Amino acid sequence: MARSLEGFLVLIVAALIYSSAVASVFQPISDSHRSVALELFTPLEGSFSSLAETYEALRTFEVLGIDKKTDINTAACQSVLETLGSSSSALKDLFYALKVKGILKCEIRKDVFEGVTSRLQATVSSAGALLDFYYSVGGLVIIKDQISKDDLYLADAEGVFGSIKALSQSDGRWRYNSNNPESSTFAAGLALEALADVVSLSSSEIDQSLIGATINDILKLFDSIEKYDDEAFYFDEKLVDAHEHQGPLSTTSSVVRGLTAFAAVTSGSLNLPSGKILGLARFLLGIGIPGDAKDLFNQVDSLASLESNSVSIPLILSLPATVLSLTKKDTVKVKVNTVLGSNAPPLTVKLVGVFRSGSKDTSLVEGQELKFNPESAVYALDALPKSVDVGKYTFVFEMVLHDPDHLNLYATGGQTQIPIFVTGLVKVDSAEIAVLDSDLGSTETKKIDLTGENTVSLSANHLQKLRLSFQLSTSLGHAFKPHQAILRLTHESKVEHSFVVGSSGKHFEINLDFLGLVEKFFYLSGKYNVQLTVGDAVMENSFLKAIGHLDLDLPEPPEKAAQPPPQLLDQKLRYGPKAEITHIFRVPEKLPPKELSHAFLGLTLLPLLGFLIGLLHLGVNLKNFPSSSVPAMFAVLFHLGIAAVLLLYALFWLKWDLFTTLKALCFLGAFLMFVGHRILSHLASISSKLKSA
Amino acid sequence: MSPPHRVNPQPISLSPRQPKDPTTTKMARSNFSVLTILSVILLLPVLSLSFSPDSPSDRRLLVLFDDLSLKSSHSIFFNSLKSRGFDLDFKLADDPKLALQRYGQYLYDGLILFSPSIERFGGALDLAAVLDFVDSGHDLFIAADSSASDLIKSVATECGVDFDEDPSALVIDHRSYAVVGTEGDHTLIAADDFIESDVLLGENKIEAPVLFKGIAHSLNAANNLVLKVLSASPAAYSANPSSKLSSPPSLTGSSISLVSVVQARNNARIMITGSLDLFSNRFFRSSVQKAGSPKKYDKSGNEQFVAELSKWVFHERGHLKAVNLRHNKAGETDEPAMYRIKDDLDFSVEIYEWSGKSWEPYVANDVQVQFYMMSPYVLKTLSNDKKGLYHTSFKVPDVYGVFQFKVEYNRLGYTSLLLSKQIPVRPFKHNEYERFITAAFPYYGASFTMMAGFFIFSFVYLYHK
Repeated sequence: MARSLEGFLVLIVAALIYSSAVASVFQPISDSHRSVALELFTPLEGSFSSLAETYEALRTFEVLGIDKKTDINTAACQSVLETLGSSSSALKDLFYALKVKGILKCEIRKDVFEGVTSRLQATVSSAGALLDFYYSVGGLVIIKDQISKDDLYLADAEGVFGSIKALSQSDGRWRYNSNNPESSTFAAGLALEALADVVSLSSSEIDQSLIGATINDILKLFDSIEKYDDEAFYFDEKLVDAHEHQGPLSTTSSVVRGLTAFAAVTSGSLNLPSGKILGLARFLLGIGIPGDAKDLFNQVDSLASLESNSVSIPLILSLPATVLSLTKKDTVKVKVNTVLGSNAPPLTVKLVGVFRSGSKDTSLVEGQELKFNPESAVYALDALPKSVDVGKYTFVFEMVLHDPDHLNLYATGGQTQIPIFVTGLVKVDSAEIAVLDSDLGSTETKKIDLTGENTVSLSANHLQKLRLSFQLSTSLGHAFKPHQAILRLTHESKVEHSFVVGSSGKHFEINLDFLGLVEKFFYLSGKYNVQLTVGDAVMENSFLKAIGHLDLDLPEPPEKAAQPPPQLLDQKLRYGPKAEITHIFRVPEKLPPKELSHAFLGLTLLPLLGFLIGLLHLGVNLKNFPSSSVPAMFAVLFHLGIAAVLLLYALFWLKWDLFTTLKALCFLGAFLMFVGHRILSHLASISSKLKSA
Repeated sequence: MSPPHRVNPQPISLSPRQPKDPTTTKMARSNFSVLTILSVILLLPVLSLSFSPDSPSDRRLLVLFDDLSLKSSHSIFFNSLKSRGFDLDFKLADDPKLALQRYGQYLYDGLILFSPSIERFGGALDLAAVLDFVDSGHDLFIAADSSASDLIKSVATECGVDFDEDPSALVIDHRSYAVVGTEGDHTLIAADDFIESDVLLGENKIEAPVLFKGIAHSLNAANNLVLKVLSASPAAYSANPSSKLSSPPSLTGSSISLVSVVQARNNARIMITGSLDLFSNRFFRSSVQKAGSPKKYDKSGNEQFVAELSKWVFHERGHLKAVNLRHNKAGETDEPAMYRIKDDLDFSVEIYEWSGKSWEPYVANDVQVQFYMMSPYVLKTLSNDKKGLYHTSFKVPDVYGVFQFKVEYNRLGYTSLLLSKQIPVRPFKHNEYERFITAAFPYYGASFTMMAGFFIFSFVYLYHK
């Protein structure tokens, strides 16, 4: 269950990633691949990290026709020499060293080769694991090709073939070695390559039954092929959590490499449906341009082996543009290339039929041949058929090879269906907007121009209706129904309401009965902006027009009416700085001006003055002052005491606190009482003497 | 609020280098390397927590895919992250060993969800774990597309963004689509309605439109932390391009958001978009021409847009810190324990912005301080010296009580600063009031003449004959 879900997810995701492949327009390898290849395979300080990587870079450059060998040459050849010369280098490194040497043609002494050859031959005879076979046999084949050593043969080719074959499983997949029960599709590709190498190294014919059994395996492997809905085929590993998980791309490219290698050595005995080969090519092209060096190598290398395979060479029909404009008088242009972008053999491209998309009716055109322009290698139709109006179509093309011998050599995939958008201008006519009374008919109808600016101002209440109508027709005069025909009313508070404008034929009309919409409008009265959007994928003059505004007078909302949804706050409002706040201090109490206080100070002195003048006027004397010395001393002390109390009072006002003042007053008071009592009793005795006298 | 304490990656530089002295014995050298290895092993758990308030950039990102081929088809984006020093861990979203934390410590600082169709994460990861991850201050990067699963949609919903519920709907725009010969259904949008914010999108204006192909989302009006970074044009709508439109589309016009970001209250940052292709090599390299505009750009704005936005999301920009909040009486330098009403005071704070490598002075003219007790009594904009020091002075209001200095800095795209420092304010003491008020002179005069009169009268009364 989980597995099938897994596969399904991978399928969906891959379909989405490769959405450029939707509409089954596959573009062959182009210049953008070359620039990306140069970007991805950038040697660090003149060399790559490993020989395998060096080989991948060189092979990619070779297939794409980029001449970068000189840059890498010296460092790579040095590394090849070291690897081949050392007796302890790993088998894998030997293999890639030989491959790099095969491309770079490094100078290597003969005795080094002898050593490597004998080492590889020894490995072949003792090998048990698939990778050992793959590297050693592959290495021997390169040595044979490189130094044209025709006498290099495997001693027991059939035996080796048999032991590789023994690792195969009944479903066409291979195991890496006999101890490990896990089988993989990726390994099948490696095994097929190794088998092909064994065949080419064999001195005699390999037993046909063994070849036949292998071909059977290949056919079984193709039973497990997976498919996208755009006719792209690919291989994927069944075991997802295997130790080294190979993605669909590396798996597919491994199988493609093995398949083409095996087909090359068995010349014609392998018959695979050409549709599947074309499907594999579509998958590899559908990836687009990988962003990973390894992926790019896998894609380019397997496409290169498809380009020259002996089963069937896929031909890719592509369109530079699937959007054709009637106003610009675009015509259908078709290119046919091999996967790597080289020109196809002589053939004719036929337009078999043109169908409106979504309808299964008869074709709009009879079979038509496209004219070939040898200079640009483009097949073109003189002009679009007269009956083709704006809209979505499916064009069906067919490739017919001129040379009957090519029929088996090339895979054309029969008829190719390609969706085409034919775009053009749409006429907009007789647009009107009106507010209607529900019974009496129109009160005010206003013509609007949907190509220019409009500022219509309308007003309506909840008993009235708004009617908007317009006409759309194509340049050929047919009715046109756009995908998007939306009337939008936007209230001042940004609450929006959208309505789809319906149509009958060319005529589009919408009636908004506000009585039924009051609740939907949340009882919001006020100014509504009216906007009309008409657009379609094939309409070149799609428009969004502000028509004007509508003053709507709706009844007061009842208590339980729904509240309008909250609207987003303005971001500036939310994040801007706040207004500054300054504290307002309490105003001090208002005081009279200084002059006034001083004047009143003067006034307060007046009573004392008056008192003194009065005393002088009365003729005051101090004759009663005691004449004897002791009472006189007490009198002086008494008045000094009073003066001190008054001074104390002044000090209290100026700086002392209550406690200091009271302390001083205690002593002063006691003293004052004593001296006061003496002087007062003295004065009293004098006055009583006077009375008695 | 603040992210859990994490140690910055500097300790690695403390690990001893190879001894330079060639005479060192082999024995000693091997001892040394053992020590080095030991110290590295000991430091490892510490190193895995590379986020710290001192260097807030996230360094370790977990990238989840539905399909590993995305690693290759989106390689430019990932390589740009790697070249900026991020440590990326690529995993399948249904990997049974997935985990964001181990022994209570988070293993990653950011999560990139490039797995739109995943219905159930593998391992210990689920919706709650993702939300916990964000709640603890980590960053999230979500890209969905038309295959978006309920899981991805619910993660987005939790972040304040609602994807269109119609699973077959795509953003369509018949007015601002990208003109491409092979894309006729106007679902490839050339969007150029960016948010105006240098901190989010960098100082260099993005000239070329951004290519977008995917699903629409809208912002939840109740969530005021979410921002629309790239909005659709007013003519856009969200619908299934291949079926007839019978009812009005639920999302239309500029209310459609193409790319949104969220900055949570704990400064975790989230980016959400409905287009996984936005990050693809194909869109990065594609030339772009917006419908109706004669100008054709050789390269779309995607690479710049994505690079700038990812800098923001992973805290390489817009992360502020405030230090050294200080205040004192005018003319003094020490911080008092209390102010009296109507004192003049100086206030200063230093604010720095993280540039990805170091703390740079932050320069702005809208930083404000509040003198706050229940409500702000004084709110003043601070002036700065362009070196990160913000300063102002004001008079303490004539209201006593326990006040706070408050710096609340919330700006679009910046992390929010919330600082406060408590300080009591007392009224005048009894002896701090004004003495000898002029207006009272008549009273003083009256008392003293009275006293003088009494003194004279005492003589007259006693000794007059």
